[in-house]
Amino acid sequence: MSYLELLKLAAPEATVAVTALAVLAVGLIRWGETPSNRRSSAFCSAVAGLGLAAAVGAVVMLPQSATLFGGMLVITPLTSLFKIICLALAFFTVVLARTDLSSRNRGEYLALVLLATIGLMLLVGSEELLMIFIGLELTGLSLYVMTAFDKTDIRSAEAGLKYFLFGSTASAFTLFGLSLIYGMSGTTGLAVIAQKLSAQPISPLLFAGIVMTLVGFAFKIAAAPFHLWAPDAYQGAPVPSAAFIASGSKVASFVVLGKIVLVGFGPDKGSAAWHAMISGWAPVLAVLAALSILIGNLVALAQSNVRRLLAYSAVAHAGYTLLGLVAGGRDGFSATLFYTTVYAFTLVGAFGVVALVRRETGGDDLINFAGLRARSPLLAGCMSIFMLSLAGLPPLAGFFGKFYLFIAALRAGENHGLLWLVALALLGSLVSLYYYLIVLKVIFVDEPAQHETSLPRRNVGEGGDFLQRVSLSVPGPLVAHIIASLP
Amino acid sequence: MSPILFWFFALLMLVFGAAVVVNRNPIASALNLVVSFLGLAALFMSLDAFFIGIIQVLVYAGAVMVLFLFIIMLLDLRAERLRKINWVASAGGVAVALALLVQIFYVIGHLTFSKQTFPPLARSEIDDVHNIGLLLFGNYNLPFQIIGVLVLVATIGAVLLSKRERR
Repeated sequence: MSYLELLKLAAPEATVAVTALAVLAVGLIRWGETPSNRRSSAFCSAVAGLGLAAAVGAVVMLPQSATLFGGMLVITPLTSLFKIICLALAFFTVVLARTDLSSRNRGEYLALVLLATIGLMLLVGSEELLMIFIGLELTGLSLYVMTAFDKTDIRSAEAGLKYFLFGSTASAFTLFGLSLIYGMSGTTGLAVIAQKLSAQPISPLLFAGIVMTLVGFAFKIAAAPFHLWAPDAYQGAPVPSAAFIASGSKVASFVVLGKIVLVGFGPDKGSAAWHAMISGWAPVLAVLAALSILIGNLVALAQSNVRRLLAYSAVAHAGYTLLGLVAGGRDGFSATLFYTTVYAFTLVGAFGVVALVRRETGGDDLINFAGLRARSPLLAGCMSIFMLSLAGLPPLAGFFGKFYLFIAALRAGENHGLLWLVALALLGSLVSLYYYLIVLKVIFVDEPAQHETSLPRRNVGEGGDFLQRVSLSVPGPLVAHIIASLP
Repeated sequence: MSPILFWFFALLMLVFGAAVVVNRNPIASALNLVVSFLGLAALFMSLDAFFIGIIQVLVYAGAVMVLFLFIIMLLDLRAERLRKINWVASAGGVAVALALLVQIFYVIGHLTFSKQTFPPLARSEIDDVHNIGLLLFGNYNLPFQIIGVLVLVATIGAVLLSKRERR
């Protein structure tokens, strides 16, 4: 293996890394007088956007399939697709950062977004425990800093601290779990681990390893009871950071979690069927899913801040998405991947609307959304589509995502063993409809507070429209593509 | 290594490790940590992992600790004031820790290979450092470079978060 060959196969990651360095350097340039600070930050965004586009080009140029160093870097159509999705989410985050963030330290912020994206791409494109852990850490570390980025806001610092403390503890658990798995199998490649595990009897040590590994991922996807950081991080972090945590980090975590449990731990799945539980990772994930759906949906009912509401609904959605992994197999995995992708794009759009409303009214409580219909019909329309898609109403993409998930879970195993989980999820979606509709009621029915109408209607819908239009049109063709690219 | 030495170093580590947490004075905590690291290095040496043992002393007991002390000095930390202890929370914490400990002992006690004694390691012709270099720049080349990116993130983050902003 020569270095040149390695560089060729890791070209997308290398492109993003070089872009990050370039953005850092561009951010340092002084453009004469003070007002040009804004010009400098615009230039940073442009460089970051171009670099991401170039990275997408590099992904497209990759060979059809390749494997490096026993799975450290795996290239298949599936990994290439998800690398592009991660790059697209990073692009939206860059666009969001233009509308939301003050122009101070813009270069560093965008560089952190790009470095986190490298972590996501490595996570998506790796089937080896060491690389997966390094990818998790790279993403996590960048996201902690992005969360605490707004130093003028004490909420941001609180969010960063909470996210960091929970995150570092969770990744310590994951590392312990992974090292137990490594100790039992003597290898770090997922495919070889599966062979070794199927050859030996199930032991308590293996379960300790599996459960500890799952703790870290449950934290990443914000599944209950490891969700406690999410509401504060979503509410306190700068909006682009929150959007990136909720979308990019989640998509990559689900992809890699799916690979670990379905490929690596495949032989020890067990069963989560009602009355026929067999110990393994499936019941663990089923319990996580059930708790997330219950806690997420019920607590979301009581929220008065839109970002907190989105956070609790994210917990519930993590629960739905886990259903596909519990079902297992090709159908279950593709349903999970489809749902998490649709969800990510919808949520980035919703955070885009939140960012614009926040800039106009200075807050993101439900009250700030009152009468949005009169102030900006376009934003109100976008938000209603996002909310209804999250609630899972046909004909929106969210409905099809849930439909595939539930069908996959129903078909798995004999005698509809997962019916209990599907019933719970259906009930949860019903509850969720209520709080999504409350947001829409505030937007469309409530009268705005007096002082807000007097604000000029400037800027709303200027930079964000493009973003939202794109994120609306993405999910359609994606269905076919994801299903087609699965092995 | 004789069992007596093992127990000595293991106890040394545990006692000083606990002292790191219990001590209210940050400098005393840091110095306790040094002793704990030295015990760990001795344990590594007893497992024939000389390179890791030496690195443990050089990097952790040496460089990292100096950094800790620098930071303590720069931030001018004083001994933490004694707080009122929340007994319910600490009892809960102890209970969870004990449960985890019991579970780990139970799990390890039930393993077949935890009861057998392992054969001594085969002596290698090539020394440790050479082997590590070969692995690091051969098989583990990609992770090695990615860790470079990770360190960059840590640097940017540390500078950003600790920089004083002009209003």
